Amino acid sequence: MGEAVSAVKVVDVHKIYHLKGEEVHALQGINLEIPHGEYLSVMGPSGSGKTTLFNMIGGIDRPTKGDIFIDGVDLSKIPSRAMAWLRCQKIGYIFQTFNLIPVLTARENVALPMTFLGVPKAERQQRAAELLTIVGLGDRLDHRPTELSGGQQQRVAIARALANNPAIILADEPTGNLDLNTGFAIVQLLYRLKAERGTTIICATHDLKMIDISDRVVFLRDGTVENIEKRRGLVLSAEEFEE
Amino acid sequence: MSPKKKEPKTEPKPQNTADVKIGSIKFPISEAFRFSLESIRKRFTRALITAFSVLLGIAFMVAIMTMGIILPLIDQTPPPQYQTWMAIIALLVCGVGIVNSMLMSVTERYKEIGTIKCLGATDTNVLQIFLIEALLLGVLGGVIGACAGWGATTVIYMINQPQYVDRILNTTNFVTYFTYIGEGIGIASLLSVAAAAYPAVYAARLNPAEALRYEV
Ligand SMILES: Nc1ncnc2c1ncn2[C@@H]1O[C@H](COP(=O)(O)OP(=O)(O)OP(=O)(O)O)[C@@H](O)[C@H]1O
Ligand SMILES: [Mg+2]
Repeated sequence: MGEAVSAVKVVDVHKIYHLKGEEVHALQGINLEIPHGEYLSVMGPSGSGKTTLFNMIGGIDRPTKGDIFIDGVDLSKIPSRAMAWLRCQKIGYIFQTFNLIPVLTARENVALPMTFLGVPKAERQQRAAELLTIVGLGDRLDHRPTELSGGQQQRVAIARALANNPAIILADEPTGNLDLNTGFAIVQLLYRLKAERGTTIICATHDLKMIDISDRVVFLRDGTVENIEKRRGLVLSAEEFEE
Repeated sequence: MSPKKKEPKTEPKPQNTADVKIGSIKFPISEAFRFSLESIRKRFTRALITAFSVLLGIAFMVAIMTMGIILPLIDQTPPPQYQTWMAIIALLVCGVGIVNSMLMSVTERYKEIGTIKCLGATDTNVLQIFLIEALLLGVLGGVIGACAGWGATTVIYMINQPQYVDRILNTTNFVTYFTYIGEGIGIASLLSVAAAAYPAVYAARLNPAEALRYEV
């Protein structure tokens, strides 16, 4: 038996964006190994590459150089159908910009990922309603995104990411638009998923409540990993970092 | 600081890593069809506008073609060259209108394409969804447009030249009328699908991240 395969492995990942002939080095050699069931927080100033890194791990963008492994599977080596399945079933991505479909109601948005796994309509609808209730939107099922507040849209995005019981959750500042109490409820929800189901959580955040419950914290700066710390004794240094 | 006390004590279940299996997307064409229908229903006004521009183009074309039959019947035969030119212009006007509105209706939804790809749609699923939608709108606009174009032309001539009604409605002409209507519907569907295919193929192949960033 070999050693356990990590949920996510990032090997020397670079990402260069080309903007009007200029190169933007968003990621410059990231290495990261995330075991199953870990709660990993990713911190870093704005523009440090958090979203870019998440896009690579979530399989929605390709690194310029380097490799991403999900459960030991090299994302650059699998066909696009398999990639679609990974995005659908394996990974739940809570986008920083939500990316809800404007013409669909909250419930339909949440049900969408289940459509691609062949879940029957009645079941999709019911599960979507349950998930929305969990995030506190049980009374907003038939509202469209434009009829919801920013924080409510964010919670629809969270519910949608949970739709197919993903093994890995990528949460890009999931409490960014939420008040203290609602934010705390989401933190607890993510923690419960990790504790009860062994879901791997990767969460970009500036929120100390989230840092507090994470197993490790990765600090990004200018597209590189500046530091990785275990949770213990972290709160202080996190505050330092914020300065 | 320790984690929240209230959390259940169950150990994280390590997932079985021995046999990492990749599953597959289940989104049969019947589901794509339902998705497209729903999509049209959801943006009904927008879909109507697209279908309407198909309708107008085809109505114009079929009207010109129908005139080509009716004019000789009422002893006003125009020079044949003139008729050919009219047919070509009709086809162009109709084609440009359809292609333009279909291109727009897909490109304005690149962000949505990016989103559904992030949620599990394969390239093929995206194509199916958008081509079925284009086909439905093309057929809808084509059927109504062809019938309206033919209907309006014949009715106008029957009113203006009542003495020729028998000739215009002579059963032998109906074979040609139906052929024109059929051609109109065919062209509408074909052009719609072809015009939607171009941006849809492009968008389906983009990285989801790129499609999400796309601004029309
Ligand atoms: N599509 C793009 N084209 C060009 N440059 C980009 C693009 N996307 C991101 N960048 C650049 O890459 C860098 C990292 O961006 P990224 O969005 O990953 O930051 P972030 O850590 O998520 O920031 P924030 O906390 O503000 O969300 C930034 O300098 C940004 O300008
Ligand atoms: Mg970001």
